[in-house]
Amino acid sequence: MAISGRAPLLLLLGIIAVVLRPSMSTVFLWLLVVVLLCAADWLLAPRTDALAWARRPVGTVRMGHPTETLLVATNGSGRRVRALVRDAWQPSAGATGNRHRVSVAPGERAVLRTPLQPRRRGDLRAVGVTVRSAGPLGLASRQRTVAVEGTVRSLPPFESRKHLPSRLLRLRELDGRSAVRVRGQGTEFDSLREYVRGDDVRSIDWRASARNRNVVVRTWQPERDRRVVLVLDTSRTSAGRVEDVPRLDSAMDAALLLAALAARAGDRIDFVAGDRRVRSRLRSAGSRDVTARLQDTMADLQPVIAEADWDALVGAVQGLGRQRALVVLLTPLEPSAVEEGLLTVLPALTRHHRVVLASVRDPALDRLASARASIDDVYDAAAAEQVLGRRRRTTQLLRALGVEVVDADAERLPPALADHYLHLKAQGLL
Amino acid sequence: MSTDTAAPATGTGATGASGALRRHRGMILIVLGLVLAVLVVVWSDGEERTDTALDPANPGPDGARALARVLDDEGVDVTVARGAAELERTDVGPGTTVLVTSTDALGASTVDRLLEHVGAARLVLVEPGPTVAEEVGMDGDALPDSLDGGREADCDDPLFADLTLEVDVALSYPGTGCFGDGSGAAVLVERGDVSLFGAGDALTNDQVLRADNAALALRLLGRDERLVWYVPQVDDLGAGDGVTLESLAPDWVRPGVWLLALTVVGVAVWRGRRLGALASEPLPVVVKAIETTLSRGRLYRRAGDREHAAQALRRAARDRAAERLHLGTVTDPHALVRDVAHHLGRSETEVDALIGPLAPAPATDAALIALARQLAELDREVRRT
Repeated sequence: MAISGRAPLLLLLGIIAVVLRPSMSTVFLWLLVVVLLCAADWLLAPRTDALAWARRPVGTVRMGHPTETLLVATNGSGRRVRALVRDAWQPSAGATGNRHRVSVAPGERAVLRTPLQPRRRGDLRAVGVTVRSAGPLGLASRQRTVAVEGTVRSLPPFESRKHLPSRLLRLRELDGRSAVRVRGQGTEFDSLREYVRGDDVRSIDWRASARNRNVVVRTWQPERDRRVVLVLDTSRTSAGRVEDVPRLDSAMDAALLLAALAARAGDRIDFVAGDRRVRSRLRSAGSRDVTARLQDTMADLQPVIAEADWDALVGAVQGLGRQRALVVLLTPLEPSAVEEGLLTVLPALTRHHRVVLASVRDPALDRLASARASIDDVYDAAAAEQVLGRRRRTTQLLRALGVEVVDADAERLPPALADHYLHLKAQGLL
Repeated sequence: MSTDTAAPATGTGATGASGALRRHRGMILIVLGLVLAVLVVVWSDGEERTDTALDPANPGPDGARALARVLDDEGVDVTVARGAAELERTDVGPGTTVLVTSTDALGASTVDRLLEHVGAARLVLVEPGPTVAEEVGMDGDALPDSLDGGREADCDDPLFADLTLEVDVALSYPGTGCFGDGSGAAVLVERGDVSLFGAGDALTNDQVLRADNAALALRLLGRDERLVWYVPQVDDLGAGDGVTLESLAPDWVRPGVWLLALTVVGVAVWRGRRLGALASEPLPVVVKAIETTLSRGRLYRRAGDREHAAQALRRAARDRAAERLHLGTVTDPHALVRDVAHHLGRSETEVDALIGPLAPAPATDAALIALARQLAELDREVRRT
């Protein structure tokens, strides 16, 4: 039951009756008339279950990009239904303009389009469809909320996409396929070609040149078909926010850039995410659309307030195959968490694989460490130095175990990790 | 703590007393204030005072305290009744005069209650308005009368026969009575037990001694053994007294207002009904990564742990210097001090006091800040060279 603005307006019109017959009984009689009219209108309003609802799947969209959801209303009754419909979504789905006026003839259908613009990563859900079906006088309406399932999957935004072209350029340089004809770096012999000015003289193959009329150089290409395993830590330390962005989201950004780059370089990418247990797993086997699949897998991962079980995560990595791989651990460099959980299982990993730890560094920590204005600042600075010192020692410990550490600000972590990968690739260390 | 150490240092008993005075300054001020407040209350409560004209408790020029006192001294039992409730508690019977000053404050309902209570007693109304006079069954169309600088009683009532009334301005009521102007209106009009007296000024402290005003007042009010002096209060008035907005407005206004109120309720119901429940957001956990570090800082601060803080700052400075000078991560701190001193061209003891592993902890907060700044300066120097 809901009344429209016409009901109070009708009530106000009673002022004419009151002027003509000034008495309190007029007021009550008028009120009674209005109430009876409203009740009659409500009884005559079409039933709200006359409309049957169906929603077309929304699918996936990158966070911050617009999409829309289609809601189909079918009038199964024998009367025309005039209704106000609200298609409610959780606020972060950005369902603006979700109120629709519909008028559906018997047996007809109406399609309602609600624009969506997700502002949060993950699966965003529809809350319910509220129907307000008005009576013939438009005084009162029947109202009901029905649950119509609906989900939009909002993918990680992949902000670091902008770094991809420059890194691909460097990858091509490594490949020797670049327009600037530098000697291809890498270790696998690729081909022999004619010498052009600018080539490194060290790459001249004298034996081949002797047989040929021209000077011939050897080209190399980096190894292909290597394996990269991305391990995303979704435990409590990843929930911490750096500049109001969860560390998990920054780590995802870095993982996506690395995956996109490695896929172009012809490597295979596997992905494991988890905390207490393994949350998701992806074996790509070198498919081209690895970033899209990875985004889809990552979309609904949320930080969990629990300690990471590195035994389980390392077990999952080893379950992906025995072939030597580059294992990238995307986990914050939190001394206590790393020392208690990760260090014990690292030897098992480093024995077979090359391991890199990528961590989001908090610039606030450096700012805190350099403040010297008051006594409070100095104590804070001492605390920050203490933490930074422990991080340094943990880093040293990890390096001693043969683990490379990439520790950079949220903004700089993806390119730094990509550069590290290219560096390994160029050295033939994969 | 500081006062404990200061007291024995200054010694003598006098300063000790002044120290105590200073320490309990707040308490002393509060006690003094309280005493003062009590004194003011006690002193002012000695006698009731009002500013109402012709009030028996008003000692001002337009009050009537002098008259009340004199009547009391002359053996008349003067009872002051403020408000209708108090009047109804006082005993009024034959042999009692009821005097009503400030008749402006009388309304239809209070006059009714007054007449009912007065019964057989005499009633004197001072300068009543037309409505009040009509309520007691007299003609109240009074006119201002200047009395031409004193007027003889000029009536056959022996009580007032030889008296002269003199005020600046009085009211003359239609009818026959004493102090008339000869044209059918008089200042004092009596009918039965009810008297209207139009010269209220003659009772005031200021003018009671002019001409025979005092004698007139005493004879008018001291006729009986008891005098009940009723001072009506505004809050005695009932809701139906006087002119209200309602009696002026058209008769559809009241139901109209009700209708409007019902409309407002209708609008509230219309706007108050939501189109479905509020959509809620499953909120994520918000943990600032820096939070633990900040708490550690607060912990140092609360404990005043300068030693730990200085140690952390020095260790960080050593680590950074070693990194900058490419001395490797595991260096003997003493060797590091030597190298840094050599590198910067500063004396070894100076550098040792700054970043040495055995340098003493700063004794005060100021010293800790100074140390922190010197370490930052050292860091900058190492970076520059």
